[in-house]
Amino acid sequence: MNTNPPQKRGLTAIDGAMALIVILLLVQIWLLSATLESYLAGHREVALPGAIISAILFAVCLGLYRFVDRIDSEVRRG
Amino acid sequence: MFGMEFYVDPSRCIGCQSCLKACEECDTHRGVSMINFDFIDREETIATAAYVCWHCDDPTCAQVCPADAIKKYEDGIVGSSLKPRCIGCSNCVLACPFGIPKLVPQYEQMMKCDMCYDRTSVGKRPMCATVCPSQALAYVTPETIAATRREKPVNTFWFGNQKITTKVYMMAPADTAEIAIDVADYTWEGDNELVPQAF
Amino acid sequence: MSWFRKPSSTPLWRDEFPVFTADEQFVNRRQFTKFLTLTSFGMMVGNLWILGKSMFHRPASYPRVPVAAMDEIAVGGVKIFNYPSADDPCILVRTVADEYVAYSQKCTHLSCAVYYEKEQNRLECPCHQGFFSIADGSVLQGPPQRALPRVVLEKKDGRLVAIRMETESL
Repeated sequence: MNTNPPQKRGLTAIDGAMALIVILLLVQIWLLSATLESYLAGHREVALPGAIISAILFAVCLGLYRFVDRIDSEVRRG
Repeated sequence: MFGMEFYVDPSRCIGCQSCLKACEECDTHRGVSMINFDFIDREETIATAAYVCWHCDDPTCAQVCPADAIKKYEDGIVGSSLKPRCIGCSNCVLACPFGIPKLVPQYEQMMKCDMCYDRTSVGKRPMCATVCPSQALAYVTPETIAATRREKPVNTFWFGNQKITTKVYMMAPADTAEIAIDVADYTWEGDNELVPQAF
Repeated sequence: MSWFRKPSSTPLWRDEFPVFTADEQFVNRRQFTKFLTLTSFGMMVGNLWILGKSMFHRPASYPRVPVAAMDEIAVGGVKIFNYPSADDPCILVRTVADEYVAYSQKCTHLSCAVYYEKEQNRLECPCHQGFFSIADGSVLQGPPQRALPRVVLEKKDGRLVAIRMETESL
């Protein structure tokens, strides 16, 4: 068990990753609403690019989450 | 904390019980003393020993608590049980290798020494170390200990094959690196029903 | 979620309820990040849903539904009717003597019922002040992004018949 205080660097890295995820999430929220509005207005061709970009954003979010998980386990059980 | 550490030297204890009374004075634990005070073998000797919580690096009491009521803080102090969480199950009482936590029946709460966290967190000394006339309980800097004592501080204990490192130091003969305690050696097999304890 | 978690010697409950207060910061951050990732997944599902809908889209066929007699409504008056199904409210407006327009009554913002404001000669939504042009249903101001779907009318034998919706919508 790690009894030392948490590495400040580890905490900063996690904070940075979290901030990045929040920004990406905001972009994703906007993308969803814009795609929906466009689609309902009849421009059905926006569905595919919207879905692809949303999937890419989610993949990045997932990667950042796994990064946070890795830092967390390294700092706490190292 | 603030450069000072807690040192326990049972050979210096004169049995005055000042530590007990000083600990009792704290309103934060309603006048219940949290010193573990032992008469070593009252029938044979007047020897006594006073102990505080050893604030282990990996506290067994905290690990076994089912209510997540015992926490170890960043400066190394293991707190007494958190009032809203403790369910009085006595898991910690049974688990602690040193036998420190006590279940207080009228509150259905475990209570143990928290090294006067309200005092030590701001640089004051714990009550017991402040009043101990022989400094069996001492809260000083490591330099002071090295300069004024023949014994050496030890904070590694072996209970069978289990190694426990603590924040509080035990004063031991100079050549002792770790203290091994075989619980079987101290299992009481006498005829007397009661083992007197001040707590 | 055991497949998702990295293999670790400590069980999950020991991780999530740490004995050391210093570790609680990490637990809080990790849990929040997990929640954010889940939200991101939800957004992606939304976009995939739209994609799925677009792939299964069939051109709609509209019924012919008589709406009103041409002299039924006064100039500047309105009639509420349902088209193409009973669940789709529409509004018919007689703007001048021989001009009739009809739109879906569901505001494209959040589906409040729009009404005809005679003085301003426009369709207004009371919920968030969204205004639509009476000429083509386009947005004049307010939160709506899309124009009001128009009902194409046919004049036949002195009656108005709704034949189809002009803007394709879900």
